[in-house]
Amino acid sequence: MASNIKFPENSAMYFIEGDKLALLTTVDSSGTGRNTARKNLKAISESVTNGILIHYYAEPNTVTAITDSLDIDNALELSVVDYVKKCLYMDKAGKSADPNVMQTSMAMANKHERNFKDAIQRYGVRKKDKTGGSRVVKVPNLI
Amino acid sequence: MAVHSITVKKLISRVRLVFPDAPEAYIMNLINDALVEIGMYKTKVVHAKISTVANKMYYNLADGAQDSSNNKLEVNQVLRVYLMDSEDDYIQIPRLIDKELLLADIASEDNLNVPD
Repeated sequence: MASNIKFPENSAMYFIEGDKLALLTTVDSSGTGRNTARKNLKAISESVTNGILIHYYAEPNTVTAITDSLDIDNALELSVVDYVKKCLYMDKAGKSADPNVMQTSMAMANKHERNFKDAIQRYGVRKKDKTGGSRVVKVPNLI
Repeated sequence: MAVHSITVKKLISRVRLVFPDAPEAYIMNLINDALVEIGMYKTKVVHAKISTVANKMYYNLADGAQDSSNNKLEVNQVLRVYLMDSEDDYIQIPRLIDKELLLADIASEDNLNVPD
């Protein structure tokens, strides 16, 4: 079923409140504008199957079997190795009674944590960036 | 030509060079922790369709929320929202900056949390 809203860009808007997406329109179920200025922003007045399309950043899928692949760009996969080693070195430092082993393990944990943070936080976006080609600026039509 | 990527098995073998006794289930838990952490940094772009419901203002984007095909959304950050128009096309709609709405329509807010 198609919507009755002819110009969603003018008569609909959204905002995010916590983990809810609020959808507001200024038109009724027949697509005509509400005539009460004070109460013109209301919830959408019609049920439309697949009416909303959202583009979003999602969480990678979890792994459940050893044959699974990681649901991230392969440029970032080695950072997962760093994360796992960081945690294991911290565990080792926590369990060891030998101060030398403890100190070395903490140094290695810090090294892997730094590698992980560099790979993801500092260079993560750049590593997997696929932007390229010639550019164009599309000026919006304000008429 | 296939790109090089590592599976969980290969990752475990790399880790076990240094930690030969590390349990497999524990390493997999750590891998999933890492994926959650990596997911915070804009790594996976997804699109999903949600059905609108008459007089419903708030649509769930929590971890357990589902799209209209019952797939889990797993949203971290919304990039763009489109609404279907009268010709079945999806048109991008603007984000409202000012959330201080005059009208609080209780019938529209049935998807908000209520106190337990």
